[in-house]
Amino acid sequence: MRRTREEVDATLQIAKLNAAELLPAVHCLGFGPGAGAAAGDFCLLELEPSLCQQLEAGHSLVIRGDKDEQAVLCSKDKTYDLKIADTSNMLLFIPGCKTPDQLKTEETHCNIIHTEIFGFSNNYWELRRCRPKLKKLKKLLMENAYEGPDSQKEKDSNHSKYTTEDLLDQIQASEEEIMAQLQVLNACEIEGYWRILDFDYEMKLLNHITQLVDSESWSFGKVPLNTCLQELGPLEPEEMIEHCLKCYGKRYVEEGEVYFELSADKICRATAQMLLQNAVKFNLAEFEEVWQQSVPEGMITTLDQLKGLALVDRQSRPEIIFLLKVDDLPEDNQERFNSLFSLREKWTEEDIAPYIQDLCGEKQTIGTLLTKYSRSSIQNGVKVYNSRRPIS
Amino acid sequence: MVQIIISSAGAGGLAEWVLMELQGEIEARYSTGLAGNLLGDLHYTTEGIPVLIVGHHILYGKIIHLEKPFAVLVKHTSGEQDCDELGCKTGTQYLVTALIKNKILFKTRPKPIITNVPKKV
Repeated sequence: MRRTREEVDATLQIAKLNAAELLPAVHCLGFGPGAGAAAGDFCLLELEPSLCQQLEAGHSLVIRGDKDEQAVLCSKDKTYDLKIADTSNMLLFIPGCKTPDQLKTEETHCNIIHTEIFGFSNNYWELRRCRPKLKKLKKLLMENAYEGPDSQKEKDSNHSKYTTEDLLDQIQASEEEIMAQLQVLNACEIEGYWRILDFDYEMKLLNHITQLVDSESWSFGKVPLNTCLQELGPLEPEEMIEHCLKCYGKRYVEEGEVYFELSADKICRATAQMLLQNAVKFNLAEFEEVWQQSVPEGMITTLDQLKGLALVDRQSRPEIIFLLKVDDLPEDNQERFNSLFSLREKWTEEDIAPYIQDLCGEKQTIGTLLTKYSRSSIQNGVKVYNSRRPIS
Repeated sequence: MVQIIISSAGAGGLAEWVLMELQGEIEARYSTGLAGNLLGDLHYTTEGIPVLIVGHHILYGKIIHLEKPFAVLVKHTSGEQDCDELGCKTGTQYLVTALIKNKILFKTRPKPIITNVPKKV
């Protein structure tokens, strides 16, 4: 059944092609045995160059999704939306087919290359980099927030707990993105499970530390780990004390000793959350006074520290402030904007920016998001943004 | 949730294939299907232009180096024996069999080959 050189030359003659103008080698293309195979047994995946390099290095990719979710594809550190792109053309995949450059550089003694087409398709998988879907992570971990080793919950073993593998099985994100988010959430690994701390417990740990700093008259920039563990060890597990220091400070070593430089911004912010969560809203002036008095001596509170945590309303009389956490808001772009505009009809860019910053993808800025999802106008000389459509 | 692994054998185990893009559809002449049948002859001119002779047509195309390469994924549906140290995730896995970095695109109208020129009486 294989074509011979004579048959090829005869065809060239009939086609009136001049063999002198062609390279000597010809590919006789035929369909391989699996070529008519069922769609879905093989497919084409379009890759950006960095993904191609990862596959060449032997790394795997993983597709993740629930039946009711849009599938995503994850590399070690990035997440992509996976879509099927249709083309009206036919795409044939051909092993062993050489390009003219390859033919010119390689020595081919035979000038017939019998080539089998492996398969064909009229669609391929297309990838678009997307934000990892991390909202579910906090939701899962909050099912069983850690309240300390002595809490009744820890004694019961039937509360949900998740290992890294469990999380990879549930979250549509790459492993590195999940790890980064666990750090943002101040989660810690206890007995192999990832746990988020109950806020009151986290504040209890922080208060032990700040009170110790105060009673020892240490500088906040130089808090010695060992002394903390020694003094506070009887009160709380050492791992939890160290975890709290890591969450609220930066670790460094000096003359062989481990110290932590505590972050005033993080401590002031946490203190504000503790105050604000107890009421629907606060008189701004009163809040600012109480807040400054509640933070460790020497730390200065500023409203800038509360971006993405609380919102100030300067239109109301008196001015008020209330808790509004960006991670309590919807993950989807349109839903996020809908919820923000139902809270407040018109926003300045300065006020809304912390609440949409996390929606910015690789190529989107705050500006492009505002252009897409809102309409702007000038109010009292200031540019404000409102919803494009009526919010019910 | 489902996790489907796309695994790769690494550069050593990955062949490099070529994609050929044609407009329209290819049909088998007989109802036995395409498998095992010839498609045609692919030549290159000395300038590197691909020339494809399919049936009664000649097509001229061009070689395009793909900015976004393709991976050819072959599906494996497995039973219990394909569990790895992480346990069985699902029965479905894809194996990257080849990478495609170049394509041969034919998008101009085919030239018909006239084989029977009736003689004048």
